[in-house]
Amino acid sequence: MGAFETLRIANTSLGAHQVWLDAIAGNIANVNTVTSTDEEAFRATYVIFDARPDGGVDVDGFAGSDPEGRLVHDPDHPLADEDGYVRAPELDMSSQMGQLVMAQRGFQASVQMTKTAQDTYSAALQIGAK
Amino acid sequence: MSVMPVEFPSFSAPAVPVPGVASLGDIAGPSLSQSVAPASAADGAEFGSMVLDGLDRLEGLTDRADGLAVEAATGNLDNIHDYTIAASEAQVATQLTVALRNKAVEAFNEIMRMQV
Repeated sequence: MGAFETLRIANTSLGAHQVWLDAIAGNIANVNTVTSTDEEAFRATYVIFDARPDGGVDVDGFAGSDPEGRLVHDPDHPLADEDGYVRAPELDMSSQMGQLVMAQRGFQASVQMTKTAQDTYSAALQIGAK
Repeated sequence: MSVMPVEFPSFSAPAVPVPGVASLGDIAGPSLSQSVAPASAADGAEFGSMVLDGLDRLEGLTDRADGLAVEAATGNLDNIHDYTIAASEAQVATQLTVALRNKAVEAFNEIMRMQV
């Protein structure tokens, strides 16, 4: 437990939310990525968080959405099979946008935590000051 | 006219013990007999080494912040918050060290002003 424990914990949270934001960015970027039916669909990335025993949060791993995806009828698509189908990712745009807001707010909350920590340290330094 | 002594009824209430409330005699006040250990000659050296340790840690923190600043400038920084937090830590540690130094110098000056 160092003097900067609050900052360290906030830093782990900032890192975790940064990874989450990156994952959402990748998912939204590939929301229109379709593949041919004999290939796997784009797998949306979901970040799994884990609480650290010494305080803070870690990225424990990643989970992917169903590689089956959704079959979409699009006969004009260059990747369409003989029946006119392509494979779209199992990815919900509105859910991703909701997660984007959550990740952003989580990041902002951790930034506020670092500000509060600094204010607290500054207040402690004012003890006994003239 | 003589004044007749009036006998007032006694109001001395019988001592009814109130559960949960200790009588005044039972409450132990703060002990003032705790003596402060006299300073030994080693204490001065301990303060000095403490300041030196603090300076070493401060140097480590500023070095880390400087390294991350170079990474930011060269485009190798993965996370912006890594730098800003390291810089914040270095800043607060510097303020703490300066505050310590000011306090030490203040104490020294106070003693030097003592009338003999």
